[in-house]
Amino acid sequence: MRGQSISALLLRQGNSEGQLGRDAQVNTNSKNANSRMQVSCDKSEIIIMCFKNLPIEFDAQGVAHLKGGAIDPYGYQRREINRDKLKEMMARNGHIKDVSISPVTRVAGALSFHAVADLQERKFLEANSVATIFRGYEVILKGRDPRDAIYISSRACGVCGGVHSTAACEAIEMAFGISPPPLGTVLRNLALALDFLYDHPLHLFLLAGPDYSQVVVEATNPAMWEKAKLTEATNAEVHQHKTIGDIMKSLNPLSGGCYLDGLKMTRTPREAYAVLFGKYPHPQTVVPGGMSSTVTITDFNEVLTRLQKMLDWTKRMILLWDDLTEFFYEFNPEYKKIGALSPNLIDLGMWDDPDSYDATYERCNEWGEARWATPGVVIDGKLVTTKLQQINLGLEEFVEHSYYEDWNQNGNQRYLTDPLGAPLSPNHPWNKETMPKPSKESWKDRYTWDTAPRWDRQVVEAGCYARIWTTAAAGMMPKNDFLEATGHSLKIHMPKTMLREMDFEWKIPEVWNAFERNRARAYCMGYNLMIAYTMTLKAFDYLRKGEDKVSTKFEVPKGERRGVGFWGAGRGFLSHHLVLDKGAIVNYQIVTPSTFNASPKDPFGNPGPYEQAVLNTPIIEDFDKPENFTGVDMLRAIRSFDPCMPCTTHIYGGEREIIREVNTCACGAEG
Amino acid sequence: MSEMPEKYVGEAGSPKPHLSETAGLPDQVGNVARRSMEELVEDICASQGKTQRSLGPLDKVYVFWLAGMSCDGCTVSVTGATEPALEDLLTGSLPGVPLVVLHHYVLQLESGDHYIHTLEKAEQGKLDAPYVIVYEGSIADESLTVDGEPFAAEGSLPLWAPSEQRRRVATAEWMKRLSPTAAAVIAIGTCATWGGIPASYGNVTGSMSVMDFLGKNYRSVLGLPVINIPGCAPVGDNFTDAVQAILLFLQGLGPLPEFDELGRPAWQFSETVHRHCVRAGYYEEGIFAKEFGDKECLVEIGCWGPVVQCNITEAGAISHLGGCMNAGGPCIGCTMPGFPDKFSPFYKSPPGSLLSSNASRLLGSIIRPLRRISQRERNREIRWHETVPSGWAMEKGDVSLTHKILEFFYEAMQFQGAKKPGRELPEEQFPSGYITLPEQKYGKDFQLLPEDRAKKAEKRT
Ligand code: SF4
Ligand code: SF4
Repeated sequence: MRGQSISALLLRQGNSEGQLGRDAQVNTNSKNANSRMQVSCDKSEIIIMCFKNLPIEFDAQGVAHLKGGAIDPYGYQRREINRDKLKEMMARNGHIKDVSISPVTRVAGALSFHAVADLQERKFLEANSVATIFRGYEVILKGRDPRDAIYISSRACGVCGGVHSTAACEAIEMAFGISPPPLGTVLRNLALALDFLYDHPLHLFLLAGPDYSQVVVEATNPAMWEKAKLTEATNAEVHQHKTIGDIMKSLNPLSGGCYLDGLKMTRTPREAYAVLFGKYPHPQTVVPGGMSSTVTITDFNEVLTRLQKMLDWTKRMILLWDDLTEFFYEFNPEYKKIGALSPNLIDLGMWDDPDSYDATYERCNEWGEARWATPGVVIDGKLVTTKLQQINLGLEEFVEHSYYEDWNQNGNQRYLTDPLGAPLSPNHPWNKETMPKPSKESWKDRYTWDTAPRWDRQVVEAGCYARIWTTAAAGMMPKNDFLEATGHSLKIHMPKTMLREMDFEWKIPEVWNAFERNRARAYCMGYNLMIAYTMTLKAFDYLRKGEDKVSTKFEVPKGERRGVGFWGAGRGFLSHHLVLDKGAIVNYQIVTPSTFNASPKDPFGNPGPYEQAVLNTPIIEDFDKPENFTGVDMLRAIRSFDPCMPCTTHIYGGEREIIREVNTCACGAEG
Repeated sequence: MSEMPEKYVGEAGSPKPHLSETAGLPDQVGNVARRSMEELVEDICASQGKTQRSLGPLDKVYVFWLAGMSCDGCTVSVTGATEPALEDLLTGSLPGVPLVVLHHYVLQLESGDHYIHTLEKAEQGKLDAPYVIVYEGSIADESLTVDGEPFAAEGSLPLWAPSEQRRRVATAEWMKRLSPTAAAVIAIGTCATWGGIPASYGNVTGSMSVMDFLGKNYRSVLGLPVINIPGCAPVGDNFTDAVQAILLFLQGLGPLPEFDELGRPAWQFSETVHRHCVRAGYYEEGIFAKEFGDKECLVEIGCWGPVVQCNITEAGAISHLGGCMNAGGPCIGCTMPGFPDKFSPFYKSPPGSLLSSNASRLLGSIIRPLRRISQRERNREIRWHETVPSGWAMEKGDVSLTHKILEFFYEAMQFQGAKKPGRELPEEQFPSGYITLPEQKYGKDFQLLPEDRAKKAEKRT
């Protein structure tokens, strides 16, 4: 019925033998869906169809309704996880190994991973992603002045500098009914482009890079290292590394040129950021109704000199990742399956158009589509929506496998609809109220502090690659001199700097895996740079026109208000859902990219993106005996998402006390 | 975690409470380079032929970076440091400063047990150099989670039978186990130093600071209480600067670094941020920003700078650039023990500022006009008596009588008891044209060749 991408086919093949109940299934199937929903959804295909599992349909005007007839439209059956077969296999076969990596290093924050590997068949049979930190910021936010949400929620994550403060501002602006003046919006966009220009090099060279460096490749795949030394790099003339071996050497931690330059290059955009916004992370200059930066000509000149440095370096680095990726594919096509997933992606878009953005929910579809990164959901490689309202309606969070209690037990759903009257799930963030319940780790039951957000009850991944993908596929980017979204690619034109003028094109890839995530991230550096440059020019424009106001005055409203910040972090999707009453915060919910990516299984039995990516990963590394297995392929798969755990596990809602569960079963992680 | 077994089973015939008693771990999972970051650093140093690394008693120092209830912002800040830069410390490239071997989950090459094993070696005294603990984030009260998974964990250890069963280890536990034999404990960031946001009103996890956790009487092996480098997030340079200062002192090279009564590096934190603020002059003259984005003092839109100990206005946020008020952000006191509750709601002017800002408003209203007069006069070169030869400005020639009188007295006061320097050069006539010496002597056409000059002269006659 729907088009299958090559990677989806690849995955299916790769998995056909590894099926262990539902655990190893490709996550895009629709068996999880309630069949009733499926049927009526087919009927509604003639109208607007973006949901296939949720009981929501749209009429020709795009107005959403609940499909008729259901008593409990959002109800679902929880699918139990059965590990008996796996345990039996483990008991019988010595080559089936329980792999527990705690902590997974070179990711931001606290992540652990558990997997079961079949070292003979060279594949993974089970995977569990475990977030090992919980901070409870949401209780801390409750009852506070809404403006405090900006600075407090910022502290959810120090890796993504100012993304939370901005998302909080957008939520507050919606609730307060204000919006920033044009220069305020442009400054925000600039801040959030600079932010990612620090973030991507950090990941590419300090976190993920070492996995492709000489020290690791030589240790886990000596034949490849030998070949790499002899393989000339296609783009050597630009990036100045003669062979692939030179690139790998350059990626070596603490001694390689790329590693050290990568570290230095994380500072350059942060310097520009500090000049305009004060400090990084947690800037003091993001305020409701705009920014509080005092801008001068020098500030922008200082930004421009830094962009120039970044341009030179980025031109080289994009081609370097291209060369590295192609080398791996050529050396062994199996590498295309490392971290492979069927492309199910979600993004809220970002970088508002100053003329369209008015912070209202009513017009969110219009200003959303006018953004410099287009919101969207991609299912099986196909863009199914670009409307913020639809993306919002499709959001649900599940906690069946997390250390939280279900908030729906008491049956009081706060909101039945969104502000436009469209149906809202009881599991939607505006209704969510999470109660932490520290419990014992059990792979069958609860095993992480992360929750399982889903869109239309399907597993989706978030990332900067989702942003570039939805933008490229939608082809809605505002007209400009440097970037063009063609419907199948994003063209990036980079002006002359020390290096010549260069054109790049990121094409929607045919396979979706760890390498493509990293490659897309490298291209995103170019994308962000040209956004930063365009925004600087736009700022000049407004200053020339004398429109130099950066903020709007406001009052804190006293009535009940709702707001949502649809925004993006370095790693993609970021939403802040806010409920206010009597001038204070009643509920505050954050969904971050890693909340999606690091999520555990959902109640329908579908693993989260890290988990499924590991299940699809073949074991390629060399090892002579089981003890010498390092798990590098699996770690490459996990790291390609750029995990960021602080964001993931920030929050807890509700006034409830922590519920302590006295567990008498001593079966531990074996559950 | 599950119920504790009846009997502790870390004894003969049962799984060991540690990952490995002897060198080497049972398997290579997570050890992707088949060697640890520590070994890699040794290799790099060896390949550079570094034989004599340091000028003092210390050759290298291990730093174990532990994170509790943190946002990783402190780590991010430190990667931004340039004075000195992280990579300078980690490669032992600073003369006199021992090599810093950093064990950090964000940067480490190896994962899992191989990562944790080094922590165990430290605890068992098996390292070849002293170690320092750097703690980021607040410490949760893990007694609230005895029956479940810890709020903040780092790694897992085998403990009880069956052998596959592991126990996730709370970062608080690592702190407890490693602090007694650490050369120093450094708390970085406001969460670790004072408690910060996880420990503010509504704190569900019982979060607290490192000092709260270790107590007043804690002393490291070097006899030091907890060293605190606050900030949310801290200035990266404050951390590397303090580390370098401490290491140079231990080497017998640098002066004694001083710490204040709360364990903050005194040279960084003894002044209020207001004293070095780029907007302090506005405060003094009583001019205040009314809206976000205004260039004046931010006190009336929520700045707490006058009572906050922070050095960001002079140190900059990164590479000496930026700073909250430099860019336009009011100070919310993120370095202070009272943060956030004693400073919120943010964006409201601090109650104490009412008196002082109005006092400077009053004083400013008198001082400002006087200063402007004096400033205007000082914007004139001594020879610009009447007109100003600038094509840019509106003609400012006509100086009022009051201005002249005031300036007369001002000058009298200025040179009271001193001699007014003279300047008796002849009046110059430059606005119309400058006649060079040869021109004066040989006439306008002196630079022409003799024949051309002759021709010209001919024409003239
Ligand atoms: S902005 Fe803050 S720190 Fe600066 S002068 Fe005003 S009150 Fe002082
Ligand atoms: S100026 Fe204030 S808000 Fe800024 S870093 Fe210093 S203490 Fe924090």
